[in-house]
Amino acid sequence: MATEFASDAAKQPKLWWWGAVAAAAVILGIVPTMTDISLQLDLSILFVFMLLAMSMGFLWGYAGILSFGQTIFFGLGGYAYTILAMNMGTTGLPFLMAVLLPVVFAAVLGYFMIYGQISDIYLSVITLVVTLIFEKSMRSTSGPEYVIGTVRLNGQNGIPGVPGLVLPWIGDAPLSIAGVFYLSGGLVLCVYVGLRMILTTRFGRVIVGIRENERRMELLGYDARWYKLLAFMLAALIASLSGVLYAIWGNFVAPEMFNLNQAAQVVIWVIVGGRSTLIGPVVGTGVIQYLSNWLGTVGVGQVTVVLGAILMIFVLVFPRGLLPTLGAAIAALWSAKDRKGRGK
Amino acid sequence: MTGLAVMLQTTQLEKRFGGVRAVAGVDFTLREGELRCLIGPNGAGKSTFFRLLTGQMKPTAGALMICGQDVTRARANEIAALGVGIKNQIPDVMNGLSVSENLWLAASQRFRGAQARRAVEKVAERLFLTGILNRLVGELAHGQRQWVEIAMVIVGEPKIVLLDEPAAGMSDEETARTAELIREINKDTTIIVVEHDMPFIRQIAQTVTVFHQGRILLEGLFDAVVADPTVREVYLGRAGV
Ligand SMILES: Nc1ncnc2c1ncn2[C@@H]1O[C@H](COP(=O)(O)OP(=O)(O)OP(=O)(O)O)[C@@H](O)[C@H]1O
Ligand SMILES: [Mg+2]
Repeated sequence: MATEFASDAAKQPKLWWWGAVAAAAVILGIVPTMTDISLQLDLSILFVFMLLAMSMGFLWGYAGILSFGQTIFFGLGGYAYTILAMNMGTTGLPFLMAVLLPVVFAAVLGYFMIYGQISDIYLSVITLVVTLIFEKSMRSTSGPEYVIGTVRLNGQNGIPGVPGLVLPWIGDAPLSIAGVFYLSGGLVLCVYVGLRMILTTRFGRVIVGIRENERRMELLGYDARWYKLLAFMLAALIASLSGVLYAIWGNFVAPEMFNLNQAAQVVIWVIVGGRSTLIGPVVGTGVIQYLSNWLGTVGVGQVTVVLGAILMIFVLVFPRGLLPTLGAAIAALWSAKDRKGRGK
Repeated sequence: MTGLAVMLQTTQLEKRFGGVRAVAGVDFTLREGELRCLIGPNGAGKSTFFRLLTGQMKPTAGALMICGQDVTRARANEIAALGVGIKNQIPDVMNGLSVSENLWLAASQRFRGAQARRAVEKVAERLFLTGILNRLVGELAHGQRQWVEIAMVIVGEPKIVLLDEPAAGMSDEETARTAELIREINKDTTIIVVEHDMPFIRQIAQTVTVFHQGRILLEGLFDAVVADPTVREVYLGRAGV
């Protein structure tokens, strides 16, 4: 029987996995020395989006919670960093606060949805509606009366001039382009390793158990609501981290961070990459973003339509996503070769 | 028996599904150390009664006390935390996970760290699961899945164990082993067993409660119950015993 999810997520990763992580870290370290600024910028935004994809992929694949609105926390993180940093004149503390504030909102929203025992499909719909409400509200803040401290919210025009992150142990100047590259790439790696480690802890194993059979877990004495809420908050943390980095990367935030297009992108990354592994959404983000850039350069006007078609193909033909499908194909090839070998 | 502590008690417990009263006002008392058998025809309300006792469903009327606490409106996990374990009628396990992961999740609600791992090893040995610890539960045969679920129930050392048709789909040999296991667990655990298999019940039975149309028809010792003409009429006659 082929199962959709790896059943050994609870086990400590093998040596080759750590080797791969170390190799990724080394590559990350040397890339800025060998590439130009524009490629570093492109890769940095890719890393930012990979975090956002991991946030949704982890929540859906491992906790069984399908949230269409991880952009809620992405947008909130970006706006929180912008408003706090511009008001306080520093960036370190605003960075931390901006990452954590959306988690507080996730706790409240998650509490009402999860403890309110709404069905899974409503949770998906509500998260989507909430992100659209944020988009609409932010769009309607163009008037001069919408000021937080000294910062005008500017409605649909967004807020330009977001200060870059100053890390005191590196210097007084904001992070350079290479610095942002290291920060976002390093965080992708850290979040990936961190999530992988969490899956080996009691909490990680319990949420996977709840995904498999929530009623059984309750009959064993686990309060499923509490664990699901924690998983929701953890995913929000990753999404808000992504949003803060987005603001730092582009020195700009706008209501588009919350919008349907952005939310749909996340869904496409995760479905194409596959939610049954942690790395799937990361790969999906890379493939889709590369593809849409390429479509743009060769002059295909309807990038969105093409992406939509790709999404449909994956949903209908490869519902497990790119990585698991490739994995299964390779496994099938191996065993076919094995059989042939034994047949001789 | 009457001197022993009451572990579980229901008063006028009722569950309605629309017009159907699946459980229709049941007064039931279970004392410490009992091994109670629950029998009755299909649709008598036995499984629904079990779901009410474990918080999987909320009663539409009546009250439920477990270990002296009113748990009529309690959630399933709260009742489980009082020391109630259940094997549901249909195997109710984590199909996508390995046997050992299933057992570990069950054990780690009560034990931590190395203790949980030891509890898993012990229960696996006791139920002959050691050889299949790394198999996916979803790949196992129905009978084996039942054993896994029983192992998950007892690994947490509950005070009250509810078994809904533990011998269904098992071979004669497995059934005999199940009967033996139940008697063994009963040495330090209070148990209710729902079964249709009368020879099986004969092996383990002390007091038998007969359900019929959501009500308790009769309660008594095994021999008295099977000799009762009404029980023969509503249940045993059809079951061919
Ligand atoms: N979720 C439900 N919704 C509606 N009706 C239900 C539900 N669950 C059970 N019933 C009905 O309640 C009655 C009792 O069912 P229950 O499963 O408790 O019987 P049972 O004694 O366990 O039978 P069996 O021996 O076949 O397992 C039946 O008429 C059944 O159709
Ligand atoms: Mg039943």
